[in-house]
Amino acid sequence: MTSASSSGDETSDPKPNPITKPPEDQLAALALSDTDSQANGVANESPRGNNHNEIENEEEVAALTNSAPSGSSEVVESSGGGGGGILRARSNSELEADGPESPSSSGYAGGRGSSSASSDGSGIDEIAAVSDVEVVDGVSDSQAPWVPGKRHVDEDDASISWRKRKKHFFILSNSGKPIYSRHGDEHKLAGFSATLQAIISFVENGGDRVKLVRAGKHQVVFLVKGPIYLVCISCTEEPYESLRMQLELIYGQMLLILTKSVNRCFEKNPKFDMTPLLGGTDIVFSSLIHSFSWNPATFLHAYTCLPLAYATRQAAGAILQDVADSGVLFAILMCKHKVISLVGAQKASLHPDDMLLLSNFVMASESFRTSESFSPICLPRYNAMAFLYAYVHFFDADTYLMLLTTSSEAFYHLKDCRIRIEMVLLKSSVLSEIQRSMLDGGMRVEELPLDPLPRSGSFSPHLNQHTLPTDSPDRFREPYDGVGGPAGLWHFVYRSIFLDQYVSSEFSAPINSARQQKRLYRAYQKLYASMHERGIGPHKTQFRRDENYVLLCWVTQDFELYAAFDPLADKALAIKTCNRVCQWVKDVENEIFLLGASPFSW
Amino acid sequence: MGCSSSLPDRGSGRLVGPNVENGGAADAKNLRVKLVLLGDSGVGKSCIVLRFVRGQFDPTSKVTVGASFLSQTIALQDSTTVKFEIWDTAGQERYAALAPLYYRGAAVAVIVYDITSPESFNKAQYWVKELQKHGTPDIVLALVGNKADLHEKREVSVQDGMGYAEKNGMFFIETSAKTADNINLLFEEIAKRLPRPALSSSSSIQNP
Repeated sequence: MTSASSSGDETSDPKPNPITKPPEDQLAALALSDTDSQANGVANESPRGNNHNEIENEEEVAALTNSAPSGSSEVVESSGGGGGGILRARSNSELEADGPESPSSSGYAGGRGSSSASSDGSGIDEIAAVSDVEVVDGVSDSQAPWVPGKRHVDEDDASISWRKRKKHFFILSNSGKPIYSRHGDEHKLAGFSATLQAIISFVENGGDRVKLVRAGKHQVVFLVKGPIYLVCISCTEEPYESLRMQLELIYGQMLLILTKSVNRCFEKNPKFDMTPLLGGTDIVFSSLIHSFSWNPATFLHAYTCLPLAYATRQAAGAILQDVADSGVLFAILMCKHKVISLVGAQKASLHPDDMLLLSNFVMASESFRTSESFSPICLPRYNAMAFLYAYVHFFDADTYLMLLTTSSEAFYHLKDCRIRIEMVLLKSSVLSEIQRSMLDGGMRVEELPLDPLPRSGSFSPHLNQHTLPTDSPDRFREPYDGVGGPAGLWHFVYRSIFLDQYVSSEFSAPINSARQQKRLYRAYQKLYASMHERGIGPHKTQFRRDENYVLLCWVTQDFELYAAFDPLADKALAIKTCNRVCQWVKDVENEIFLLGASPFSW
Repeated sequence: MGCSSSLPDRGSGRLVGPNVENGGAADAKNLRVKLVLLGDSGVGKSCIVLRFVRGQFDPTSKVTVGASFLSQTIALQDSTTVKFEIWDTAGQERYAALAPLYYRGAAVAVIVYDITSPESFNKAQYWVKELQKHGTPDIVLALVGNKADLHEKREVSVQDGMGYAEKNGMFFIETSAKTADNINLLFEEIAKRLPRPALSSSSSIQNP
């Protein structure tokens, strides 16, 4: 058994240029300069200009990121230690094709929440069925074929199908009792859980801590949180750091439901069975795990906003602020996983991970859509020990309001607040603007402007003003005539460091199947991990080319940009295009970001 | 249940808000009552409420989180109206310690079990005892055996349910949210059993 103490990524990551420059110079410099046009990288677009933020001289790394395994079938001999020979032969073709849900024990279906979305048995990673139409509208719609809830409850560690699942997550207690398993029935996995527990305690008895076990293509990642053990077994080639973060989020989701005071149950009774306490929440965990493959918030630790005209967002923010002043701790208005506006009471700040976990909890739990609710929830980053009380109300299928308070008696007050908010939102037609923004979508790479727009620039037709028609001569033209945006730009994600927000472009051809989107997110995630590698990171720039994409990453003190291009894209043009993307984001930041929100500090 | 440490103490939780004062509950002709549904998870509490409030039945109904709030007004033959403000609580174990928050101040508690599940009948008895100890004095208690349409799977006899209810001075009825059998009757019968405020008095049912 290997007890690896560091992540040790298999793929030899490229060495992004360690351009060591004083950080203050990066603040203003917003220019990636084109290596071709600026031989020494001295001439610069930035007034502060030296070449600190240039991308140049990077080694092009070919075919290093094999983020999604290609179809060959691999046979993995599990090494002796990795869980007692449980991991065997796998065929590699996305074997998470999930069968129909098993019905719950009672006819009224309390337990394994099935969703109102017609369950055609298509599973979490079986994405071939997504029609193009659904995908065009963006990330969120790629969830369409995903059926929430627990599947494969009939499986256990003896089932071949169970063994073939590409990614397992387990929660167990330090006495080896199963608490949660992504696939299969927890109770049938008692023996398997005991094995995992044995591995962990064996290493702990030696005064060490097991973090990662490799067995062929499989990684077994461990996370110990007091009496709770979390384990991921994956052959998805995601970096160790990413998988560990996913375990952290799963743990956070558990705390959101139960608080950390659940630990006391184990102090009283080490053999405490926690599964009943999590009754009915399978759907929350499976939805979170699903989001690991489509929601960049899960690795960026940032949230994203629904694009809205500045005045519209202001109007929403003003009424939320009004309510927050009346004793509400947090008032959050969201549309699916996107924030419309949020306000915190004085000195209270909300961590993006808490927002992710909270919105996942609310969206995954169907009962919130039925009627207004008042429920205890815990924000692990805010206070992991105590419950807050959440008033949740859906204005329509996608738009919902969450009012959080410390007072268990505040329901009627929060209900009144909601009525006031609803009136204002209707009057100022914020709700209809939200609907429109949902339909229109966000930034599209095809619309990347040639020249910087005036400050008031807009990117989307409904936000009026400076929209460039598709055939405008103003449009950015490059001698590249493939699909996607200029210079072969296919997609980008921009994360503002100060705002803790990111913006992601809409998916368009050729990244138009959910499978391709997932592959791209995995590539970004890998890029993120390599840029932030402990000890040697964070790095500033990375340019890598493989058979799927050219990936370009640029990290400054202000922002992080992740961009994907056609694998044949010209490097100099790609760099130039990244500069334009950054400029574009700056130009429309009023509409894509929530500005002036209460500062996030932790 | 162990993780109750951060939950409200019994007696402190009180979901009576500012709107009680101006809610008109004092009007003898227009009653307004707080009703709480309790019972094991999966017995059909939400289904009963949704059948009563919206006339709907969703066989793929969802696990309730915390508690949902709904209201419905019915008119009685004597031309009084009763507005039920209904707390549909989650049956999950982790919310059990939180129940006082929802039943405190309730004029009516509807305790639901599933006639195909003796376990849920035991759980119902637990709730009856809990309410007798900690509920509002003079609370109207109703015991409801739900899923009466599944008679071929019945494991709790009508006699058992009725006997237990009689012993504890409860109103008893069997319902089916699926077929709508007895759902409206349940709430009408509850309404008839509500203590009426004396016409001269302004005391509210919600604040006994």
